[in-house]
Amino acid sequence: MTTLAAGRPFEFEGVVRLTRIGIAFLIFTIVIGFAAINTGNNALYIALSFMLGCLLLSGIASKGGLKHLRVEFDSIGEAWAGKVAEGKLRIANRSRIWNVRDVIVTAGELSSAFFIPIINRRSEVTADAAFLFHRRGLVQLNTLDLYTRYPFGFFFKKRRVRIRGEVIVFPQLLDEDPAREQFRPVEGELHSSNRPGIGTEIHSFRDYVRGDSVRQVYWKKSASLGRWIMKQTEVEAARVVHVVVDPYKPRNVSEEEFEQMIREAATFIYDALRRELDVMLSLPRMTLRARAGERATPIFRALALLEPSHEPVAQSIDRHSLVFAVRRTDERASA
Amino acid sequence: MNARAREIELLFLTMLAAVPLYGTQTISAPPLIAFHLAMAAIVFRVMTGRSSELIPSPVMRSLGIAYVFFYVVDAAVISRSAISASTHLVLFIAAYQAIEASKQRIEAQRLLTASLIFVASVATSTHIAILPFVLLFGFMLFRQLIHLSHRDSLEAAQARAIEPPSKRAAGFYLCGTTAIGIFLFPILPRVRNPIVPGLVASLNSASTGLSDTINLDEQRTITPDATVVSRVWMSQEAIPFFTPLRLRGMIYERFDKNKWFQGPRDMASVEMHNGAARIARPSGFTRRATVQQRFLVGARLFLPVGTYEIDGIPQVYEYPRRDIYTAWQTRGDVINYDVWMAWSTSPLRVQRIAVANYPVTPAVRAMALELAGGQTDPMKQAARIESYLSTHFQYVPDPSKIGRRMSVDDFLLREHRGHCEYFAAGMVALMTALDAPARIVGGFYGGNLNPLTGYFIVRREDAHAWVEVFDGNGWRTFDPTPPSLRPGNAQSGLIRAYVAALSDSVNFFWDRYILTFGLADQVTLAAELISRTRQTLRSLNQSAKQTASRALSLRYLATLAAFVGLALIAFWIAQRRRPAFDLLCDHLRAHGIHVGAAMTMEEALIELHRAKPEVAAALAPLIALYEEERFSAHSVAAREVIRRRLSELRSVRA
Repeated sequence: MTTLAAGRPFEFEGVVRLTRIGIAFLIFTIVIGFAAINTGNNALYIALSFMLGCLLLSGIASKGGLKHLRVEFDSIGEAWAGKVAEGKLRIANRSRIWNVRDVIVTAGELSSAFFIPIINRRSEVTADAAFLFHRRGLVQLNTLDLYTRYPFGFFFKKRRVRIRGEVIVFPQLLDEDPAREQFRPVEGELHSSNRPGIGTEIHSFRDYVRGDSVRQVYWKKSASLGRWIMKQTEVEAARVVHVVVDPYKPRNVSEEEFEQMIREAATFIYDALRRELDVMLSLPRMTLRARAGERATPIFRALALLEPSHEPVAQSIDRHSLVFAVRRTDERASA
Repeated sequence: MNARAREIELLFLTMLAAVPLYGTQTISAPPLIAFHLAMAAIVFRVMTGRSSELIPSPVMRSLGIAYVFFYVVDAAVISRSAISASTHLVLFIAAYQAIEASKQRIEAQRLLTASLIFVASVATSTHIAILPFVLLFGFMLFRQLIHLSHRDSLEAAQARAIEPPSKRAAGFYLCGTTAIGIFLFPILPRVRNPIVPGLVASLNSASTGLSDTINLDEQRTITPDATVVSRVWMSQEAIPFFTPLRLRGMIYERFDKNKWFQGPRDMASVEMHNGAARIARPSGFTRRATVQQRFLVGARLFLPVGTYEIDGIPQVYEYPRRDIYTAWQTRGDVINYDVWMAWSTSPLRVQRIAVANYPVTPAVRAMALELAGGQTDPMKQAARIESYLSTHFQYVPDPSKIGRRMSVDDFLLREHRGHCEYFAAGMVALMTALDAPARIVGGFYGGNLNPLTGYFIVRREDAHAWVEVFDGNGWRTFDPTPPSLRPGNAQSGLIRAYVAALSDSVNFFWDRYILTFGLADQVTLAAELISRTRQTLRSLNQSAKQTASRALSLRYLATLAAFVGLALIAFWIAQRRRPAFDLLCDHLRAHGIHVGAAMTMEEALIELHRAKPEVAAALAPLIALYEEERFSAHSVAAREVIRRRLSELRSVRA
């Protein structure tokens, strides 16, 4: 299987197209047919029978071959809008008779057509397919177009096959420059969070409560006071970025602006994770966290599926939160 | 397969396409040899890794322009045939394209040209030997087409991929195409164009062993030629009466300067009755025979002696001589027809028969009178002369062994040896000396019975001459050549005979069902199909009626009733033995409650109570009874009670 460059000049509407070789062969057949009828020469009738048989078989073979092809969506990696995602398609030939060769597979969601040299009868092949999605969200893969000239290249046959597949496309990541520049100050931002939580710095001391880990026991103070005293660590604010995405889209804001805001948020989170920062994403009724170095699939999935809200949504933010929201065009706020 | 191997295969394909042309007379051998030499040189260059540009492209293009003018000259002066000139042109184009292929990709055009050449080869080949060429050409063509299809697909998709092997695919599609072709061949319409006649005529110009004159001054040579002239079928009871076969097609009745000529030219159409041409009046034993004949001299018919009616030819002419018949057929090499043969025939019209104009010398007359032995009946005279010549004269199978020019008188009076034409001419001379009308007849004699197919095969080497003597009513056949030395009597081994028979059977099939398959055969085939379909339907109808009548007989009805009765009893027993749970389920289903697998009867009753409280109230005691039977420690025989009560409830509801 070979993936190909973009551009599909061969595509056409309909089911079948006669190729140049096919037209030449058809004209030749008509001429021989006329000669056979005109002369009554049975040798020419033999040639005519073979040529008609050839045409007929060519049509039957290409139709019969494509008819029995079943395509299933096998898998796909992380799919980002505007970026090629590698996936796999399983193509099975259920025909008992026809091997199918030279199959070109195209679809709106494929970045380029791909070519399958042969699918033997009653067998299947797994093909690498390069998908390209233009918008974030849930994308339904419904149809694929299969083309073939096989066996003799007289006809270019097309068949549209149904395919069942769903892909969650993550928001598009903005290019390095200039959009990402505005997020640079976030890197290395070091200040105290002043909030208890997982960390290394001691925030305060307190009495033992059920469920505390013995690792947090402050032995020295416990010995002096005669009761269990526990260390309370402080959240490492410098390693955590709290991102708040406000889905409110006022009526005077375009879809594109809203999408741009989502892209910016996604790009920010992506960059933060790349810089070994933990990310906490707050959305209405949902807070998601991704540690540095871990996969942040839930966060991006949430951003992918975030629908704009036409009413303002209450969300808790603190002074260190990075808020992504759209306002009217002239007052859009971000980080 | 790499590009070089593919190119070599394409070159071989083009060369192969022209090979059958050697066996036809479409074009002469020199241009074909030149073509094959040029192509072989190109193949050699490609095999050694060089370009296929055998001749520099500019030179080749100049030659191409010059060929346009040459084509006209070729058609008008050199080959004097548009078909030959066009074939030359296509061969030139094929070579030109092979050279041009080094500059541009023209595989599709080259395949088309090769196909054109091959169609020209096929169209002019009449022998079954063309079949292996057709299959090989088809196989190689399909491989090339599959390759082209693959290449074009890759280009369309801008991809790169290794091409899978195509031998099996090409073989598969060749089989498929052959199967479809075999199906299509008999049903393609054989309606000839009535306006523009076809260009194809008989291409067969080989020597027949028969000629318009018997020139006794010329040295006669006979070369063995096993080409089949005719195949004749006749029934077993007809064989003893009408064999050895004699197919007559020439009559020599005028003599001049040691040459025997055919009679005066004449042409008369034979009246057709119900598609049959009656040419003589039969008497005695008659039988039908089927003839397949190859045209040797125009469309002249070589009819078995004794033929009085010809069936299956649209129009028959008495042409170009009296008692010689020709079919109205301008196309094809082979014709099929039926003949009716009689033990003896007489002319339809009264004829004035003159004695031959042979200049009888006194010595010949004396010899004739001596041989006649006082007989006055021409038939008896002829019989005596025939007997004498066949027993006292020596037959020389190879005329070149006679060694010198010899007249009929020399043959009769001095040499006493010669080939069949001398024997026939000698007898005609003797009969003329007796004032009895006689003539030499040319045609074919004998033939071998093919045991596999049951027909007689008559070949060119069976050409023969014999005599017809007029008895006042009709012409009677005599043959003074010694019977054991006549053509067709050469003996061969059993295996050889069977191999020859098998070979001829295949040839016959090819000639009869491929080369000469025509509209009449299509009509026959359609009629046969309709007839068989009707027959099948009729037999099906009859067997259906018979089956129905059997089924309606008392015994079958009683058996059927017994089976039905037994089935009903079994059903009744099964119903009575159904568990109480099932009975209750059925009843609940009738009221719209489906008792599922995970549902108890109690739960079903609650649902029923919600929907139909009165029905639930009636059913509650039965369910309680069922539960008691099913779950209590002391078993109660409740099933029968439930069944009966449910039956009552149903009847009340009804």
